[in-house]
Amino acid sequence: MIATAASSRRWRRIFLIVGAIVLAYALLAPLTSLDAAQSAGVPLLADRLWFRLATIVAMFIVMATAWNIIGGITGYAAFGNVAFFGIGAYTTGMLIAKAKWPFLLALPFAPIMSAAFAALVGLPLLRLRGHYFAVASLGVGVAVGELVQNIDYQGQPVFGGASGLFLPIYSINNRGLYFFYLMTAAAAVSIAVTWWVLRSRFGYGLIAIRENEEAASVLGVNTTAYKVAAFALAAALTGLAGGIFSQWNVFINQDNTFPIEYNVQMILMALLGGTGTVFGPAAGAVLLQLLIQFLGGTLPISFDLPFVSEAARPIVAQIILGLLLVGVVIFVPRGVIDFFGGRSRLSLAYLRRSLRETSL
Amino acid sequence: MSVATAAAQLELRGVTKRFGGVAAVDGVSLAVGKGEIVGIIGPNGAGKTTLLNCISGVFRPDAGDIRWEGTSIAGMQPYRVARLGIGRTFQIVRPFGSMTVRENAAIGALFGSNEARKGPREAFAIADEVLELVGLKAKAAHPVAALTIPDRKRLEVARAVATRPHLLLLDEVMAGLNNVEIDEALEMVRAVHATGVTVLLIEHVMRVIVGVCDRAIVLESGQVLAEGEPEVVLRDERVIQAYLGERYAKRLRASGAEDRTN
Repeated sequence: MIATAASSRRWRRIFLIVGAIVLAYALLAPLTSLDAAQSAGVPLLADRLWFRLATIVAMFIVMATAWNIIGGITGYAAFGNVAFFGIGAYTTGMLIAKAKWPFLLALPFAPIMSAAFAALVGLPLLRLRGHYFAVASLGVGVAVGELVQNIDYQGQPVFGGASGLFLPIYSINNRGLYFFYLMTAAAAVSIAVTWWVLRSRFGYGLIAIRENEEAASVLGVNTTAYKVAAFALAAALTGLAGGIFSQWNVFINQDNTFPIEYNVQMILMALLGGTGTVFGPAAGAVLLQLLIQFLGGTLPISFDLPFVSEAARPIVAQIILGLLLVGVVIFVPRGVIDFFGGRSRLSLAYLRRSLRETSL
Repeated sequence: MSVATAAAQLELRGVTKRFGGVAAVDGVSLAVGKGEIVGIIGPNGAGKTTLLNCISGVFRPDAGDIRWEGTSIAGMQPYRVARLGIGRTFQIVRPFGSMTVRENAAIGALFGSNEARKGPREAFAIADEVLELVGLKAKAAHPVAALTIPDRKRLEVARAVATRPHLLLLDEVMAGLNNVEIDEALEMVRAVHATGVTVLLIEHVMRVIVGVCDRAIVLESGQVLAEGEPEVVLRDERVIQAYLGERYAKRLRASGAEDRTN
């Protein structure tokens, strides 16, 4: 035993306190005016990059938490959820750019369109299980991005084509702050939805499907309807993030709304934090996104990698990320959120048990 | 030989299920009356589980009709069959591994038959009742992984009973149990039956068939070979041959007198 119960409690308290401080910092920092922060010389607050980073973190909290509903709670490893992000972004983007709708009127259509699309493809796709579903959903994710970029009507690209779609800039004071709060609200909504799901009849049905689909069905769970509903719910939340992103970023194209690496990242975040839990994916999103930015050298606090040229840096960053995730999956299979559970987690026995479970 | 169809709660007419060229269930007709305990026996591969799968909607029969309380349920989705009041267990237990014993039972109560559908709080109350009935109350908070095999079988029954079925289909819930455990399991089946549930069970353990069943139906090669009172059916020459083989049947005939005195 490395740690006694008392010292693990201390560790948990430290984790909680640090977490609370980070959260409070993220939420309260932008309240002080940028100019005030700048003149006071506070490094992070003064940097506009900070708002951007915090908004991106919130965006990934939405995506990872939404993925958790279909992937973590229902047990269907969706690999193409980025399609819903893109559909949400393009729905809001098109309504604003082409139909000249105001942003707040166009935004609700992002989750609606994404959910409708998820229900449509979910009906055939969710008949597949395991790897087959994962691969098929990945295919859908890629195909939607390609379609959006390449659909032409009378020689004109319908969705802006390869050159993307420009939206009018949303005229509001403190734009960065506004979108930070909007994205944070979306993150809060996804977490609240997950909290509700896990306490509802619906959620129990989804977990039953994950644990044994046939047993669930003979106990009266309408498995098809439940799976499609979970998929659509995940899609709606992901689409909401996409809708906010489109107006925030002003420019959308295939590269920034259908990036395939988001598929992997949102799953890794959920795994890292703890699948099937309320806060796990959010915790994973914060940790992994900060790590990605840190390794990528875009954080205000940066570092130099020894023996690595500036050009090779992104590749080395990916390798470090990969190794770290392998370690996490082996040693903390239930995610870092598990450290906040009841029993001692920082012990050799815990690591041994984890190893046993993952090797099964 | 057959029960009057007017009184039948469940009625199968010429049910057939083929896998490739093999008819696992081949034109089975049978009826189960309300409140009966009926046992289905037969050698391995006779089509017993396939028949149960057809009734509970896991398989769609290729031919024939299944009528439940007057309506046809052949080819209906499993969840709809369950909601009409037919509960079932699986021969190889399928617990929800990440849940506690109590949560497993609550799933049955949360979903289950139409009239019994409840919200989470009431479902847990029903789960507690059912766990008491099957003798798992003391282990309600345990994770499924901590259960012994007999307890897992109990949980399988508890989950099905929690759906508030009118008919319970039990697929070899006594298999792999020792004598003491079988006695306990028999008590459990009687207790469930006493709450007004019709029971159709598959079993290899003859003591179970003789001990609780009103009637026994023998399946062989997907067809009904014999049907009637358990003691009579089990003495049937054809049944003994199908089950135990020609040689054993002869030996049994020779020692028949001794047997009865035991």
